Amino acid sequence: MNKRLSLCLLVLLLLAACARQGPSPSANGSSSGNPAAGSGDPALADPAQAEITVAAAADLQFAFSDIAALFEEQNGHKVTLVFGSTGQLAQQIENGAPYDLFAAANIDFVHQLLEKDLVLEESVALYARGRIVLAANRQAGVRVTNLEDLLDPQIRHIAIPNPEHAPYGAATRQALESAGLWDAVQPKIVYGENVRQALQYIQTGDAEAGIVALSVADVPEITWTLIDESLHQPLDQALAIVSSSPHPDIAGQFARFINGEQGRPIMRRYGFVLPGETPIMNPNTVP
Amino acid sequence: MVNGWSPLALSLWVSSLAGLAALVLGVALAWLLVRRNFRGKSFLEGLTLLSLVLPPTVLGYYLLVLLGQRGLGPFIEGFLGIRFVFAWPGAVVAASITALPLVLQTVRVSFAEISKEIEDAARVDGCSEWQLFWRVMLPIAWRGILAGGLLGFLRALGEFGATLMVAGNIPGRTQTLSMAIYDAVQANNLARANGLALLLTGMAFGMLFLVLRLNRRIVGI
Repeated sequence: MNKRLSLCLLVLLLLAACARQGPSPSANGSSSGNPAAGSGDPALADPAQAEITVAAAADLQFAFSDIAALFEEQNGHKVTLVFGSTGQLAQQIENGAPYDLFAAANIDFVHQLLEKDLVLEESVALYARGRIVLAANRQAGVRVTNLEDLLDPQIRHIAIPNPEHAPYGAATRQALESAGLWDAVQPKIVYGENVRQALQYIQTGDAEAGIVALSVADVPEITWTLIDESLHQPLDQALAIVSSSPHPDIAGQFARFINGEQGRPIMRRYGFVLPGETPIMNPNTVP
Repeated sequence: MVNGWSPLALSLWVSSLAGLAALVLGVALAWLLVRRNFRGKSFLEGLTLLSLVLPPTVLGYYLLVLLGQRGLGPFIEGFLGIRFVFAWPGAVVAASITALPLVLQTVRVSFAEISKEIEDAARVDGCSEWQLFWRVMLPIAWRGILAGGLLGFLRALGEFGATLMVAGNIPGRTQTLSMAIYDAVQANNLARANGLALLLTGMAFGMLFLVLRLNRRIVGI
């Protein structure tokens, strides 16, 4: 009995040891990465190759995953992406989170951090303007082409990002208020922590409809329609280098990459309007 | 250290340390609560059980306030060179606090089952309190202590809420298995969520089985 017990513990210890050395299975959407060869710390092994952590608003999930992969390929530095609502990420930075670059969905949050000297002033830059879309689950059997359709009793849950700390949620609330619908639809509203969680509720069909960012709307499970931009404050997205970053140079390099020749086409492809450009978009209509 | 580790490796690392911390503290407290009477005993007892009933968000918030940049964070970092908030040591602290009540209760039962006569006999034979603990109590109660440690490890493995608030969800640094599952569900990456959830369930079930076997030996069934 004792022997068997110690054997079990031994197996567990071995498992722990193996897991630590094995290749990281974390190469998914949120951490695009080729784990550095060998088990040593890549930053120490090769000073030319460093790792930066980018705190990015949830609407950037798809676009930044692509851009980070391209950046890693071309520059050899590793980029770890952490997605969340802009407000939550800003709060984490105030509490000393080890991020190098902050890509917000609303410039106001960057300005708030700037007032506390938590981001570098000269690094603040606009990189995109976002749009919100009205989305519906394909399987839900509801027709949603304008905001009034949300009143349809067949729609029992409407997923939106939390307006308290997610800029896309704030814009959603403004749009529903401008349309005079906020009070009427409020009982049906469920909050996602951020854009991607709201999207996930619609993707699974647990919410028949909702409002999310255009940049994440191109998923097979949903149909979407653009919401008139005049109904809400512009979603001007800005980024900045975090003051405590040990690699401000590489963070800056990545920031320029996003706003540069390689990053801009990717951002455009995900429906962002770029600084200095006028929107040309084909609103997707619901079949 | 731990930079770039997979969620599985981070989970095992954090839970092992947290389980160990909870075990050391749990054994000491169990000893105190079983064998000693002192002023404020009920207060201490309540305090040790608090993390069992408090919402993880409250615990996480306290830790964030206490260990964060606006709390003792900069002081601790200057003194010990360790940063807790948004780093793995924060996850260890959160997990060990939530694991403590489970460890304590399990160890306490196995201490309480040792009859007072055995203890007194040892004292009569000239055992110091220290020797009593190492030579008598520990050898008798080891199964309960081991079961407590394993339960603590398991509870730490399952810790989510407080850890999310204190340590965050940073891949390769603080993203444990439970964080990675949360992340995968949010990103609608269900294949990954399924795989990780099954892995975690399998590990937890296997170890629970072990704990049950140990417990059975204590009760003598």
